[in-house]
Amino acid sequence: MKAISVKNIEVDYYTIKEEKEAKGILKKFKKQKFTALHNVSFDVEKGTVIGIIGSNGSGKSTLLKTIANIFEPDKGKINLYGNTINLLSLGTGFDPELSGYENIFLSGMLLGFSKKLIESKLKSIIDFSELGKFIYNPVKTYSSGMYSKLAFSIMAILDADILLIDEVLSVGDIHFQEKSYNKMLELINDKKRTVLIVSHSTAMIEQLCEKVIWLDQGTIRKIGNTHDIINEYRKYARSLTKLS
Amino acid sequence: MKTVIKNIKKNFPYILYSTKSKLKSEVAGSYLNSLWWVINPLAMMLIYMFVVIIVFKSGEPNFPIFVFIGLTLWDFFNRTISSSSKLIKSNRNIINKVYIPKYILLIINTFVILFKFLISLAIIFVFMILFKVTFSFKILYFLPIFIVLYLLTFGISLIIMHLGVYNTDVHNVINIVLKCVFYFSGIFYNICTKVPQPFNKLLLLFNPIATLINESRNVLINNVTPNLLLLFNWLIVSIIINIIGFKLIKKYENSYSKVI
Repeated sequence: MKAISVKNIEVDYYTIKEEKEAKGILKKFKKQKFTALHNVSFDVEKGTVIGIIGSNGSGKSTLLKTIANIFEPDKGKINLYGNTINLLSLGTGFDPELSGYENIFLSGMLLGFSKKLIESKLKSIIDFSELGKFIYNPVKTYSSGMYSKLAFSIMAILDADILLIDEVLSVGDIHFQEKSYNKMLELINDKKRTVLIVSHSTAMIEQLCEKVIWLDQGTIRKIGNTHDIINEYRKYARSLTKLS
Repeated sequence: MKTVIKNIKKNFPYILYSTKSKLKSEVAGSYLNSLWWVINPLAMMLIYMFVVIIVFKSGEPNFPIFVFIGLTLWDFFNRTISSSSKLIKSNRNIINKVYIPKYILLIINTFVILFKFLISLAIIFVFMILFKVTFSFKILYFLPIFIVLYLLTFGISLIIMHLGVYNTDVHNVINIVLKCVFYFSGIFYNICTKVPQPFNKLLLLFNPIATLINESRNVLINNVTPNLLLLFNWLIVSIIINIIGFKLIKKYENSYSKVI
């Protein structure tokens, strides 16, 4: 059964460039088109874990955002077959003036959870975050470690059919890094869940993914089973290093 | 339209929670905290009362209330529209991370401002009692007037919000236009008596804010039935503006995150 089908999508960015030679006070702007994804098609079976690799600027994050419906593709179609989807990110919708407790609700409700569901998971979120009584302090007073611990704990209750992950995250101190990494693995390895992972760590992709998509300058260069693609990608990366 | 209603329903708990959070966050850390919600408009009222009674000495009956009704309506309109041009940019954090219909953000913004509007309104009623203004059932006409004000403000804001994403100049242009509308809406003066014929009639006909403010005063302090036909016309115009706004947003909202 398919969970995601991506058909011939194209995503264009329009960047506006200031013309340098323009005279006078009024600024002249030039519109420039940049195609971030071009003619990308693939299908994903339900329950599989797919890795997406490629160099910087190859369109990996754009692809995830397009699938998550944050952008609409300029051409082509994406079908999710009615599955719910979430792009993992830390601290979505946080208000730093408010307490961690209130931010759990604010962020959770923005991500589409009901108040009841958040209430039922509240204790486990707070326990997981290890913030203790600090949960009632305003988030702006948190250290960056505390902030990311709380943000991660909210993210970890995500229950979507499809998870999109832009770099596997592990946050906080050494102990929490391990704990959050394990939590991530738990989310990814759930057999019912379809997962797309963008990562620069080929070792991690090799460990987690069944299939890999290799993006290069906005198009799919190769798609296939993890072992072959990763080997080829490594060779390619090495050849680039040698050239420079 | 159906999907709009469905989306609003679906996101309503978030809208309410976020409105509450925004209001709380504005006063967070201050000693007087939620008291500020009342102190602010009350202080305004007292300042205007001083200016109006001592300095202007206008012959208008109940002049402080007259002015404050104008200001309260104006504030709602002005604040909502002025903030909508930067609304998408200031919510960058949300828009780049999760899909949410963008008009939800505008609804939250109007609710925050609406809350302050309601407090001002309550203060007006308190002062009406203090000034012994005679009430009549015609006060109920304020509800349709308010609905027109809300829809009109919301519709215009939708369009401004959309334009503001692509063009930073919009914010400045809008603020100038708003200043202009302010002086032509009869907030500190009575358009009917202070503007010469036939301009006063024209202003009341073509400037919806002047109409709404004038009619609000009529129903709240003068016990006069509003011009229902005129209100109905503006209701229709507001609905049309809203439809255009929603269509614009629906068509372009998914490319906002590329621009901001």
